[in-house]
Order: sequence, then structure tokens, then C-alpha cells
Amino acid sequence: MKNIMNNVFKSIIFMFILLVLLGILSYVLLTNKENVKKYGINVVSNNEILSEEKNTIDVIAIGDSLIYSSISPMILWKNYGFTSFDCASAAQVISDTYKELKYGVETQKPKVVIMEADVLFRNPKKVPWYYKFTKIENYLSLFHHHNNWKKYLFSFINTNSNFTKENIFKGFKYINKTKPGTNFNYMHANTKKYVISDENAEYFEKIVDLCNENDIKLLLVSFPNMRRWTYSKSEEASELAKKYNIEFIDFNKNQDLLNIDWKTESRDGGGHLNYSGAIKATNFIGEYIKKYGILKDHRNDKKYNNWNEAYKYYIESLK
Amino acid sequence: MSYFSLKYLIIFLLTIVVVYIFTPKKLRNLLLLLASYALFIKVSKKLVVFLLLSTLSIYFSALLMNKLDLKRNKEIEKVSKEEKKIIKEKYKSKKRIILILTILFNVAFLFYFKYLNFFKEIINIIFSSDLKILKIIAPMGISFYTLRALSYVIDVYNEKEEAERNIIKIMLYLSFFPIILEGPIASYADVKNEFDKKSSVTYHNFCFGCQRILYGLFKKLVIADRLNQFVKIIFKSYMNYSGSTIFLGAIFYTILLYMEFSGTMDVVNGSAEIFGIKLPENFRQPFFSKNISEFWSRWHITLGLWFKNYIFYPVSLSKPVKKLSTFLRNKVSVRFSSLTMGAIALFAVWTLNGLWHGAGFTYMLFGYYHFILILLGNIFEPLIIKTCDKLKISRNTKIYKFLQIIKTSILVFIGELIFRAKNLTVAFGMLKRIFLNFNITNTNFSIGLDIKDYIVLVFALIIVLVISILKEKNMNVREELSKKHIVIRWIIYYALIIGIIIFGAYGPGYAPVEPIYADF
Repeated sequence: MKNIMNNVFKSIIFMFILLVLLGILSYVLLTNKENVKKYGINVVSNNEILSEEKNTIDVIAIGDSLIYSSISPMILWKNYGFTSFDCASAAQVISDTYKELKYGVETQKPKVVIMEADVLFRNPKKVPWYYKFTKIENYLSLFHHHNNWKKYLFSFINTNSNFTKENIFKGFKYINKTKPGTNFNYMHANTKKYVISDENAEYFEKIVDLCNENDIKLLLVSFPNMRRWTYSKSEEASELAKKYNIEFIDFNKNQDLLNIDWKTESRDGGGHLNYSGAIKATNFIGEYIKKYGILKDHRNDKKYNNWNEAYKYYIESLK
Repeated sequence: MSYFSLKYLIIFLLTIVVVYIFTPKKLRNLLLLLASYALFIKVSKKLVVFLLLSTLSIYFSALLMNKLDLKRNKEIEKVSKEEKKIIKEKYKSKKRIILILTILFNVAFLFYFKYLNFFKEIINIIFSSDLKILKIIAPMGISFYTLRALSYVIDVYNEKEEAERNIIKIMLYLSFFPIILEGPIASYADVKNEFDKKSSVTYHNFCFGCQRILYGLFKKLVIADRLNQFVKIIFKSYMNYSGSTIFLGAIFYTILLYMEFSGTMDVVNGSAEIFGIKLPENFRQPFFSKNISEFWSRWHITLGLWFKNYIFYPVSLSKPVKKLSTFLRNKVSVRFSSLTMGAIALFAVWTLNGLWHGAGFTYMLFGYYHFILILLGNIFEPLIIKTCDKLKISRNTKIYKFLQIIKTSILVFIGELIFRAKNLTVAFGMLKRIFLNFNITNTNFSIGLDIKDYIVLVFALIIVLVISILKEKNMNVREELSKKHIVIRWIIYYALIIGIIIFGAYGPGYAPVEPIYADF
């Protein structure tokens, strides 16, 4: 028994030291040490926007998993030359959406912000259990940033490129599973009334104000979601958008805009789009914001060469 | 499914280990069986039926053969020598029918799932027909568990192995989760006692198992996945590169394949070791081989042994080959006779070896390439010995052995190039460029890798090389490590874990090597 306890104790000490080492190295290998102060709010991947070169991102997309499942910044780059970043996390609450945008505009001067409307209806007090665990990743970001060793080790060797591949997805999550959705009547089947809480409405107003202060065009979008979106949500979001004179693209109410094939373009039975659905949604958004005439095509701009390099790796990663 | 995935290592394996610790000894094999079937069903779903059919077929045919043996033994107890012979022959032919039916039953599944389309392709080419190529998904690990199934029934037929009455053990033998996907192709004799032990998860087993898994992860994530950046581009668009760059791609692919497959075996053996189950080894420092025959006795050892025991010997000892051998011995020479006998058996082995690796012409060429190399080695061996003696070249010097290792490695690189090429046109196209367009000054090293990647690769390969040299000198590296002071041991473990996390070629921008042998 003594032997067993001794071994258990040794194992605990071993794991503890390992976690401490991983924590230290996670900090050491961060590209932008400033991020650390700002971590503890949300997952690492969305804060990566702080590691992007200053004032190079033109479009920021904020919201929950519907954002990182529907908008692929690399497709926007390839087809339109717009630089964008998905600052999104699973089951995000609107207070965090606001914080994400606040951090985003500290280092970037986006011209367009795309906001997913789903966060308007999420009760901050009823956050799913797994949301809390996403914070752990902040302290062990080494798994995410491990390739940064190239920036710090053997620094005397000039490789002519500091490209570390760490953020080639720009916040997008590539998931190409297919699980067909069947709840085709979702916009009418669910008759439950949804109301945007005062607290959420307040945060939305803050987001609107922040965009106005920074001369940003805000676009509210509800991406296809037959598992959680309802007619009532559409009505509420539409009313709110009207109140602040903000454009609202409702892909759920106007299903002909994307013509999503739920048999092949959903990854989880209609809750989120898969990659093929995301391509459709991204291209639609690309065309839409192009019409604003305020976004530049950077594809031939040498300053943005890293984006071309990232696209190359992005395509490789999809294989 | 990959043994390197977090789903396997953290969720699946760790859960089974925890449940196993609290499972009573007599139920431990049942737990491992349930876990193995759960994994199989998760991956192959309804196709589990075929695994069950194979298992039942070998279980019952072995029992039946065993019953016939007992009956025969009883009958021959009180009869004359002459009658004994007749009775033995009678029972042997009965057993042979059971064996042949069982083999055909199991091979039929393998043929359907793996070779039907290839067979149709050949018919379409020869007869210009238009047989439809079906999309067939094979049950997980069918090539591996079928060979294990066949080895068991053949051993029972030859009375090398007793028929197992405990069906759980036979089910576990075919489906045991660490070996189902990529082997090793252990014989029943290799594992039955291991299953009988029903060992506990001890601190020692757990630590040793985890060490082995870590070493496998290191080989796969730091070396194989990094080299894949270079390899995948070369094999995809070889036309854009010089012969020397293609040859470098072949070298990198061979290293990649070794690191991926032997790394998988480390995870496999390490997983089993946690449960106190020792599995046979599949690799023994293959790149220290001095000729191709030796290489194949060190690379994928259990497959080589399977072909040796169940193809090479039966073919060389078959009646027609024996007859031919006698004829040649009398008419030509003893050496010519033994060479011919060996060549016929080798031809069968390498045809099947090539086909086992995959239903494709490149795999067949891969097999015949090795057949020719081994045959030439056998033919010219006496000549080489004579020449060396005449020129007074000692074949025991380190330089001579080193040159032999280099020669063998170059031949292996070419073989693996054929193996990896998409089709014969690509294989010959790449070889043509190597031989006609080889310009060492025109070698492109920077495809998918930068100088910092090369530094990591060199360090990592030196670590693997040093460990291989120590193992070659019969040193048990892990036992030696366990004797060191705890501080030294922990520093090494931390360095390995952190090294894998930081220098592993994973995450965005990297395409990990798919489990190569899982497709065979």
C-alpha cells in the first residue's frame, strides 16, 4: 500500500511539474506577449488577431461557432483579396463578443464588422459547461503556438521568412464532416417566443457605438442553423437591426439566398455548415461587402505576401 | 483511426486502463475484448460481422480438427504400423478439407474487400471490357487479422498448436485493439500465454508502456510528419524536380515510412505493455542490414515470418517442387537445384507480399523488385566471396560492412519509391529522372522544409540512430534508463514530451502522414 501511495504521489508531482513547464513555455513562445494580459477572457485562437500585423485586417467577424463554421477568411482572401479574421468561440456570450471586438480594434482598423445574431439570444447565466474549459487552453497555448520556436530558436539563421503557419486559418475552423439536417420546417415548427434580454440589448448597443466611433460598417447576419434558429429570433433580430439602422442578412428566413443543401452541407444535422456550406456562405458575404466599395483588394500588394503564403498552406491543410 | 490521435491515446486508451485497474482478474480479457470490439464497431460499424465470421470459422474448424486428431490417436493405438499409416492418411485428408475450406472462406472475404476491384481492372484491361468498379470499404485491419486467422488454423492443422476452447481468447487474438489496425501479425503461440497472465496495470508496466508510446509519438510527429512536407510534394509533381531531388524524396520517404510504421509499433507495443502484454517486435534496426534478405528479416518481421512459415516452406516442400528439385539435382547440379527451389518459393512469397501491401501494379512491381534482388544476391554470393578472396579484400572490415549497408539502403530507397508512386508510369518516370537527370548541384532541399526544420530533423535522427546503435549492441535502453536517478529520468521524459509538443509537425499547415500500413 505504501508503495502504491508512493507511486501515486510521484505521478502527481510529475504531472504538476509538466503542467508548470508547459505553462511557462506557452508564455515564452507567444508571439505577442501582450496577449497574455488579454487572455483569460476567451480561447486562444480568437485572440490571435492580436498577433496579426497592425492595421492589416479589414474585416472582423464576431460571434459564436456559427462564425468560425461559416466564414473562411482564406476564401475571402482568394476570391476578393479582403483580409479578415474570425474572432469567434463556441457558445459565446455577447459580453465576450463585445470584448473581442474591443481588442480587435485596438490593433486593427477594420472597415467592416460581421456579427452573428445568435449571440443576442444567449443567456450569459446559462453558458454550457464546456465553455469554462476553453479558458484552460489560454494557459497551455503551447499546443497552438508551438511552431513559434522558429522565431526564437536558432534566431541567427535567416530563413527569409518568419512565416510560422500558426494562424493560416485566421480563426476559421475547418470541419468537413457531413451529417444531414432534417428539420426543414424549423422556422415555423418552433413557436417558442424569444426576447433579447435588456443586458444583451445593452451590449449590442455598445457594439454599435464602438463601430460608429471607429467608422466601421456593422453587418448583422444569422447564418443557416436549423437546430437553434427560429422565426421568433428572426423577428426580434430584425427589429433590433432596424432600431439601429443596421443591415441584417437573415439566411434562415431567406433560405433562397444560399440554397443550402442540408443533405450535404451541414456537419451536425443542421446546426452548423460544413466546409462546402461555408464556401457558399463566405462567397455570398464576400459579394455583399464588396458592394460597399470600401474594401481594397490586397492580392497584389507586396505588404500582404504572407496572406498568399498562408493560402498555400491553407489549401494543403484541406487535403 | 490513428493510434497517434488524442482520441485514441487520451480518451480510449486511458479510459480502458482506468476501467481495467478496477476489473477483477478473471474478467480482464473480457474487458479487453469488449474494448476491442467497441473500437472496431466505431470504425467499421456493421462490417464487424466479417470479423465475427472469420473468428467463428477458425474457432470451430480448429476444434473440429482437434477432435479428428483425438479420434485418430485413439484409432491408431492398437493397430499395426501399416494400418496406422492408412488411418493417419485418412484423417489427414479429412483435416485438409476442413483447412482448405476455412482458408477459402477467409481469403474470399479478403479477396472481395481488397482485390475484387483490382481483378476487375485487370480483366477490363485484358478484354477491353467495362466491369463496374465498386466502392468497397473494407473492415478495419482485414489484411492483418486474416493472416493471423490463417496462421492459427494452419498451426492447428500441423499440430503445432492446440485448438483453443476459450472463444474469448480467440476473439481477442483476432481483434485485440492495439494490433487490429497495423499488426504485428503475431502467431497464436506468441500471445496466448500473454492473454493468460491477465496481468495487473503495475507502475512499472504503465511507465514502460508510456515511455514506448512517447518514443513512437516522437518518431511520428517530429520526424515522419515533418518529412511529409517534402515527400508529398515530390511524389505529386516529380516532373518539376531534378533526379537528385527525386532521389532525396525517395530517401526521405523511406525514413518517413520507417518512422511512421515503427513509431506506430511503439505505440502498439506500448499500449499492450501497459496491460502487461508483450507483443512480438516488428523491427530490428533494418537500416543496419548488409543485404536485402537481411533487411526483410529486420523490417516488418512478423509479416516476413508469416510468409516464411506459411508460403516459403510449404511451397519449397511441395511435391511438384521437390520432384523438380530431384530432377535438377540429378541432371544439372545440386546448387542449381537448390537455387531453383528457392527461386520458385521466393517468387510465390514476393508475389503475395507485393499483393498483400496493396491491390495495384506498383505493389506487384515492388514485390518482384525484391524477388529479383534477393535472387541475384543468392546467385552472385559465391562469386562475390571468391572475388573478394582473390583480391584479398576482407569482408569483415568495418568499411566493407559500411559499404554493404549503403548499398542495401540505396536499393531499399528505390524499392520504396516504387512502393509510394501513384502508378507505374509515375514510378518509371521518377526512376528515369533519377538515372538520366541526376545532378547533385541541382538538388532542391527547400521543398516544404526550411533550414530550421533540417536542424530539428538532424537532431531527431541522431537520437534515433544512437538508440538504434545501443539496441544493436543488445543494450536494453529502457531498462538502463530505469536504473538512472529519478532526476535524470524525469529530465529525459520532460525533454521528450516538450520536444514532441514544440517540434512536432502538427497543427495548421501540416498534413500528418496517414497511417500507411492501416490501408494494407
